[in-house]
Parts: sequence; C-alpha cells; structure tokens
Amino acid sequence: MSKQAKNAHQLARQLFKLSLADGAVSDERVSGVLAYVAKHRPASPVIVLRAYYRLVAAELAKGQAVVEHAGAIDGALLASIAAAMSRKYGRTVTAAAKPNAALLAGLRVHVGDDIYESSVAGQLAALAAAV
Amino acid sequence: MSTVLEQIEQQIASLTSRVVKKNTGNIRTVADGVAKIDGLSDVMYNEMVQFPGGAIGIALNLEEDEVGCVILGDIAQLKEGDEVTTTGKLLSVPVGRALLGRTVDALGNPVDGKGPIDAKEFYPVEKIAPGIVARKSVSQPLFTGIMAIDSMIPIGRGQRELIIGDRGTGKTTITIDTIINQAKINKVGLASGDKNFRPVYSIYVAVGQKNSNIVRTISALEAAGALEFTVIVAAPAADNPANQYIAPYSGAAIGEWFMENGMDALIVYDDLSKHAVAYRQISLILKRPSGREAYPGDVFYLHSRLLERAARLEGKGSLTALPIIETLAGDVSAYIPTNVISITDGQIFLETDLFNQGIRPAVSVGLSVSRVGSAAQIKATKQVGGKLKGELAQFRELAAFAQFGSDLDAKTKAQLDRGGRIVELFKQPAFAPQPIELQVSVLFAMQKGFFDPVELRKVVDAATSLKSFFTTRKDALLTEIRTKAALDKDLEAKLQAACEEWKSSYSA
Repeated sequence: MSKQAKNAHQLARQLFKLSLADGAVSDERVSGVLAYVAKHRPASPVIVLRAYYRLVAAELAKGQAVVEHAGAIDGALLASIAAAMSRKYGRTVTAAAKPNAALLAGLRVHVGDDIYESSVAGQLAALAAAV
Repeated sequence: MSTVLEQIEQQIASLTSRVVKKNTGNIRTVADGVAKIDGLSDVMYNEMVQFPGGAIGIALNLEEDEVGCVILGDIAQLKEGDEVTTTGKLLSVPVGRALLGRTVDALGNPVDGKGPIDAKEFYPVEKIAPGIVARKSVSQPLFTGIMAIDSMIPIGRGQRELIIGDRGTGKTTITIDTIINQAKINKVGLASGDKNFRPVYSIYVAVGQKNSNIVRTISALEAAGALEFTVIVAAPAADNPANQYIAPYSGAAIGEWFMENGMDALIVYDDLSKHAVAYRQISLILKRPSGREAYPGDVFYLHSRLLERAARLEGKGSLTALPIIETLAGDVSAYIPTNVISITDGQIFLETDLFNQGIRPAVSVGLSVSRVGSAAQIKATKQVGGKLKGELAQFRELAAFAQFGSDLDAKTKAQLDRGGRIVELFKQPAFAPQPIELQVSVLFAMQKGFFDPVELRKVVDAATSLKSFFTTRKDALLTEIRTKAALDKDLEAKLQAACEEWKSSYSA
C-alpha cells in the first residue's frame, strides 16, 4: 500500500468515527462529513470516500438482518427474527426481506459478516462438500 | 404406532433443520498466493478459512479492516468478490502409521499415486512445543551409521542437530544415510523380538527442492528398504510459498504423533534456508515490515517454534530433528545460519574443500559440535573413540604447520601419520551406513595400531577388508558388542584376537 493510500485509509477511519453517534451511524453526521470532504478536498478524495463508504456500509450491515427466503414470509416472522438478532448482538437490528428462489426452501439471514443458514440449498451444499 | 413415528420424524426434522452460523468475508485482492479479505470479523489467528472451489487458506494477518490469508491449493479460480468463510478449525494433517511408506504434500494429501491414506487421527500443524516439565534429558543414542559422526559428534534421541554447509557438500546424503541406518536397525531389532527395542521412524520434509531431487531421495530410500519406515512430506519448488512454509510444521505434526504415542521418530528438514525464503516471500506480500536481508522480524521464531517441538518426553517417546541449512561460500555468520545454529543443540559443518579433496563425508571436525556430547554415546564408542576428536584437531593443526617446513621430529611425524590414517578411516561411501558394532571394531583396530603398518593410501582398502572379515566371520562377536554396548576385558581380548586373525590373513 502506498503512503498516499495509507493516509487516505487513515483519514477515512477518522471520518467514520466522526459519523457515529451512540455507537450507531448517524445520517446527520454522515451528511456533515460529506459536506466537510466537499469543502476541504483531501489529497485522494476518491480513495478516501471509497474507504469511508466501505466502513459505513459494513457498520450499517451490522444493524440490519437481511432475510433471504424462498416462498412467502410474514411480518411476524421478520419481527421475531429482528427481536432475536437484537437480543443476540445487544444492539438494535432491523429485518428486511429479500426473496431468493435459489434457496429452494427455508431462510438465510445475513447480519454483518455473519450468515445464519437454514435453507435446503445450504444443506445440499454442505452435503456436497462432505461427500 | 404412527404417533411414535411422527415424534421421531419431528425429532429428526428439528435436528436436520438446525441453523448453521458462518462468518464470511469477501476477497478484496488476490495475488501471489495471498488474499486480502474484507469481513471475517470472527476469524482467529492461524485459523483455516474456506475459499470457493475447495482451496483453503490460513489467516496470518488480522488487521483493523481486512484479513491477510495465505492460500494453500489452486488459486487460479479465485477472483475479487468471492465469498470466504471461517471454519473454526486450525489447519490439521493426517497422522499415524498409515503414512509410513507414503509421500504426502504439505496438507497430508498423498502425492505418490498409491491411493488414499487411511488415517484415523489428525494433528494440528501448529502446536506449542512441550514445556520443561514434560521433557527428559537426551541420553539415548541415535546412530547415524556414519563413523565420523557417531564417534565424534554423537546425536541423541530428542536432540536437534543442524547439518550445515555449502551446496553440493553432502548434507542431504548424511540425512538419507541416517534414515537408512534407522531402517536397518529397526529391521534387526524387530526381528530379534526384543521387547525393549524401540524402533525409530523417519520423516523427510523436502522444502523448495526440485521434484527430480525428491524422486532421487525416494528411490534411494526404496532401494535401501527404508521407505517402509519413512514418511516423505514434499513441498517442491513448484509449490506455492504457503505450502513450502507449512510443510515443516506438517512434518513436525506427523513426527509428534510417534513421540506422543511412546515411539521414537527422526525428522529431517531439507532445508530451512529455502523455508525462510518462502516465509520472507509471504511476509513481503503481506506487507509486513522487513528487517535484515529483507526477512521479517519473526524469522527467528519461525524456526525456534519449529525446532522446539523436537524433544524427548518423560514417559513417552522422542522426536529428533536434523535441520539442514545451506550456506553461501561457507559463510556461517549469515542471518539464517546464525539463527538456526543458536537454536539447535549442535551442528555438523560440511566443508567444500574437504569434499573436493575426496574426504567424504566432508565433516569439519573443528567447527562441528554436539552439545549433548558423550551422554548420547554407548560406552563402547566412548572407550574406542573418546579421544578421536582431540587427536584429529591436533592433526589438522600440525598438518597446517608442517606445510611450512620439512624437518619434523619423530613424535610430530607419528601424530601426522596417525591423523592421516584416522581421516582415511572416516571416509565412507554414500548410502552405506555402518552398524555401531562394526564402527567400534574398526576404531578398536585403529586404536590398537593394526592400521599402522598399512600404507596410507591403502588404509581405506584395509578398513574395507577388516569390515568384511568381521561381518562374514565374526558375526557372533559383533552381536555381543551390540548387546553389551560396552567393551569388557573379555570382549577386548576377543576383539584383539579377531584383529590379529584379520591381520595375518590381510598381510598374507
């Protein structure tokens, strides 16, 4: 990594820390950071903003459970998943449904880097890997 | 009836539909066998991670917002954005007797075309070396079958003895001889039915070598009947650096199984110079700070944690390590050689000049040492060869001075003459290790002056004749030396008589 890129990543991390309010990404602060970057353009603005985007996206992903499903899913189930994940991670986690027919049946829940696999496709993949 | 079956079905369904949690990441960059990965927030240091297509990696760099992994296996199919998952496991290799006679890669997969290996157990590749309490001092000999080494630089079971020298000085040959000798001893010992006999199993780890060289080594072991007691771990030059980095640790894990299960094992690392180079390559790609000769700061720990795994354990077995280091122009003060010299319990230094003079094995007596010393020698060897190292060192010193003048007193001439004979006696062809009882007999004959009347250039012939005489006609005497492992008055008298008999037949 060049020195320029290293500095850009360091700045992105600083900007990211400034974007947090009570441990969560604040829309208001993100707008403020973007306004600051537009006004005081850093040495490598594209690298800084890309790194900043990645950090913010990763943080936002931690607060959202993406529920992939094959077939119908009701609001009550989504709410129970959101409640269970909030309990598990100790922070507010919202749930969003995302249809995925490739799962065949069952669910796959993404929260940040973690994946909770309870689909037929996942079980078949595990079986294929074990054979 | 149907209710019961339904209950069981429900139970099965509840078990089979269990949620599996995975921690994942995505490849950001992949190059030169190293991948930088976004995510993997739960990954542990040295944890195995699963790449698409069956390739596995090891997490070596845990950074603030990315993970650096070395990839073991085919990287051609990997691309940016591919999903990587943690496994929660440390890298493990198959271990056990099933590996004997087999050639495996750094991950323990067979590469010899002899079919799958039916291993019952797996050991982690990285393991903390045994502590102080678990260890026992090294006191049992491990015979190399090379007279110069067994008599002057003895190696014990559980010792780490470095073999160091320039390229083409016979480093690998010494280790192959040692492996062959273990196989010979094993065959004799197992055939004798002695319950106290402890066979030594060997592991040969080839790092960064040409495939042709590895094949030659395997052929030599096979021809000598030693392959059945040996495991070959091959990470040739064509393998990626990650495999070359892992191979010695895999070999150590295979050896540890024998040690932990009350058996003795010998491991050869051929060679650690190339291992350090492979690690340097990985470290530089991982952007770790480089130090002397561009090696990373932890290159000492790379070898110390590997060699510390060789030990003799209380109430269990032992693992003896013979690491090899290749020097450039005889420079033992380079970075990696000095590191490994300081880690090991001694070194066997091989000199190019001696090799070119036809003195093979080209062991430099002055620079070679075994820190375990005579604790790892049988009494018989001590009795006949205890003063050899001193005599030979004195000979080298005198020989150097004698070059300046021709007028030498009788005593000096005698010392030079004797030294010259010892040097000739220690010459030994490759892949022909000698049993310790035969070594004792030859050294006894030398100490008693039986070679004194023989012309210097004919000493090798005379020694060959003496060995042949003992093996063909004095087998009972050799067995007695082997079993007693010490020369009492009776045995000395028998040896003296046998030597006299040989002398009369040889001169005749």
